[in-house]
Amino acid sequence: MVHLSPLLLKQYHGGHVVIRLALGGCTNRPFYRVVAAHSKRARDTGHIEQLGSYDPMPNAHNEKLVSFNYDRIKYWIGCGAHPTKPVSKLLGLSGFFPLHPMTVTNAERMRKSPTQTGEASPEEGDEGERQEV
Amino acid sequence: MAAFSVARCLFKYSSQLSNVDKKSHILHKCARRMLCSASSGGSSDGRKPQFSDEEVQNILTNITGLDLQKIFRPIKQELKPPTYKLMTDQQLEEATQRAAEVAKKQLKMPPVLPERKPINDVLAEDKVLEGVETSKYVFTDITYNIPHRERFIVVREPDGKLRKASWVERDRILQIYFPKEGRRLTPPPVFKEENMKVVFLQDRHEDILDLCLVQFEPDSSEYIKVHQLTYEDIDKQGKYDLLRSTRHFAGMVWHLVNVKRIDGLLIDMIQRDLIQDAASLVHLYHMLYPQCPSAIEAKEQQASGIELLKIFAKKESQKTGYIELALEAYQETTLESSA
Repeated sequence: MVHLSPLLLKQYHGGHVVIRLALGGCTNRPFYRVVAAHSKRARDTGHIEQLGSYDPMPNAHNEKLVSFNYDRIKYWIGCGAHPTKPVSKLLGLSGFFPLHPMTVTNAERMRKSPTQTGEASPEEGDEGERQEV
Repeated sequence: MAAFSVARCLFKYSSQLSNVDKKSHILHKCARRMLCSASSGGSSDGRKPQFSDEEVQNILTNITGLDLQKIFRPIKQELKPPTYKLMTDQQLEEATQRAAEVAKKQLKMPPVLPERKPINDVLAEDKVLEGVETSKYVFTDITYNIPHRERFIVVREPDGKLRKASWVERDRILQIYFPKEGRRLTPPPVFKEENMKVVFLQDRHEDILDLCLVQFEPDSSEYIKVHQLTYEDIDKQGKYDLLRSTRHFAGMVWHLVNVKRIDGLLIDMIQRDLIQDAASLVHLYHMLYPQCPSAIEAKEQQASGIELLKIFAKKESQKTGYIELALEAYQETTLESSA
């Protein structure tokens, strides 16, 4: 039996409310819940309110399903909650926040590096063929 | 003894009808919201009469009829031991009246709406995000108190485009987050054309229309297609009685009047001695097409009943001979019964 009173009555020094992803699901099958929780709590337990969900595995239609309760997210941000980086990125992708700067940065980095490795590998392939011949 | 059995039937099966009422209530709310921007006036405004006009609805309810034995026939449900009640004749009459009201609620017509227009809204184009992701992100707003039609469901494509979800995607996502009883994520294979033909051969038009009502939204293209196929098949084979006294009869009548093929239905009604229903059907036809020759002549002569049917048979119908034959047969039977 889960004893609820220690979980509910825990007193913290400092800490603030955060909007973050709490992990659930099974082995090799993650599933996140978007949750308003105290920053000093354990990641998965004892949240204040669930505000949505995020499924990182694409489904049969190649979609990753994300849900947000925008009304309550607005309330918690109004109360001074801090969203974490992955939550901010998701909210940026959804259009609720502006695009997160790291999303843009990572996109540009990815665009630079595959072109460099792409130029390198055909050159190596040509040299390999010439050597064999 | 017969009274006992009727009362038992009515009490046993009236409890499960509450679900149907809720669904049709929501559908009607839906329909009202859809039509609030469209015209609300009747034929008095000079515009074409719509399905939801009061006069049209009255005519259609009268034509549908109220056969209690058919409405409360045994349906597949959980096995419960039947309850028996001892009543006087007066109490039995009251119980029958209450059951009739419940039956009227069950016969509430599902709305007939025009096909919904596709959604092509693009909210943002971010070329920066091209090629980063390999799959789409679907963002849903799960705030509790918004009607489903106004909910934000938004898709971020792998090429960075942020667009509103299409109707098909919307239906699927809403079923995932706000599941409706009886609706499946992928439509069952019954709704393919070959399988529908098998269903029609088994005379189960009513069941497939009920399934369609649960599965699809009333203004989706699949719903309209399934309904039209069913109505065409019934019209071809003349099996109008299958849908009489069900909630789908009105929709069938409306479809036939819109396509101008009410001859088969008229003949069927006359053969079953439902002259009043046939007259109101022709009246509805004239309401929708006031310029056709039979409508003009009927207005001049202020005809009603059999006269109206004869005018219609002469002027407007393709199966004039059959209708006149049926009318003659009916008149002979009435003469014989009166004599």
